[in-house]
Amino acid sequence: MVILMKYNTFLILSVLTSCLVASLIGWSIATGYLIIPVIAIPLGVMVILACRQNVDVVLRDDRIREIHSLAALRTLEIYVILGAICAVILYSYIISDPLFPTITGRSILNDNGTRSMEITMYEPGFPGNPEHIIRSTNIHNVDAMNEFEAMEYSEFRRESFLDNERKGLVGITLACGIISQLVLFGGFILYYSRKY
Amino acid sequence: MKNRIKVLRAECDMTQEALAQLIGVTRNTIISIEKDKYCPSMKIGFRIARVFGVGIEDVFAYEEEKDGPACDDN
Repeated sequence: MVILMKYNTFLILSVLTSCLVASLIGWSIATGYLIIPVIAIPLGVMVILACRQNVDVVLRDDRIREIHSLAALRTLEIYVILGAICAVILYSYIISDPLFPTITGRSILNDNGTRSMEITMYEPGFPGNPEHIIRSTNIHNVDAMNEFEAMEYSEFRRESFLDNERKGLVGITLACGIISQLVLFGGFILYYSRKY
Repeated sequence: MKNRIKVLRAECDMTQEALAQLIGVTRNTIISIEKDKYCPSMKIGFRIARVFGVGIEDVFAYEEEKDGPACDDN
């Protein structure tokens, strides 16, 4: 017995499958298991094609097509403006990066077996230049820090994860963009369905 | 655009659902056309006329409005 699904159910399943495959690809790149995309991509395509075979016949008449095209047009109009604003904000954030202070750290292994660390904050645009030091903190024992030293240490650690934060920011921006686009598109469809 | 679909349907004792199935559209489309909220394409217009066995001008009548087109595009 073949169970037929609605077109919207098929769309949701396709999006979920694509997200799962994309997350597997991202994970495999991070971990180095490059065999995973080779298996995951054809498997994902097969799942989507199998679902497509069981989609109920969709009646899309002129009115529905017109409503969808109007909703898509309005969504596109709004997103061209919003996208341009977001792109400029993100780009200005990236090119302003040299204006942020640079934090560097140097780890030293002491004779008594303890580890100390020198954390230095440089003026924007002058990393490593001793004439442009904002402040420098010497942590005598990394395993026994006081509160101030711990704050400096965490700030230094955060600096090393800045690249990851940037990638995350791009991913979250894209995801929020797609979700809000879908919500807006759905809202316009409801509006035009009531209007016509 | 004014239309006589409701009258023609009543004359033929036909439901909106039956008409929608005959011309291959959804029932909501028939409701929208009957309420003059949506202007159908010529293809749908001719199909409706053919179902009732009349000419298209017997189903639809175009009325010029003073302050704009008969059907709102947006």
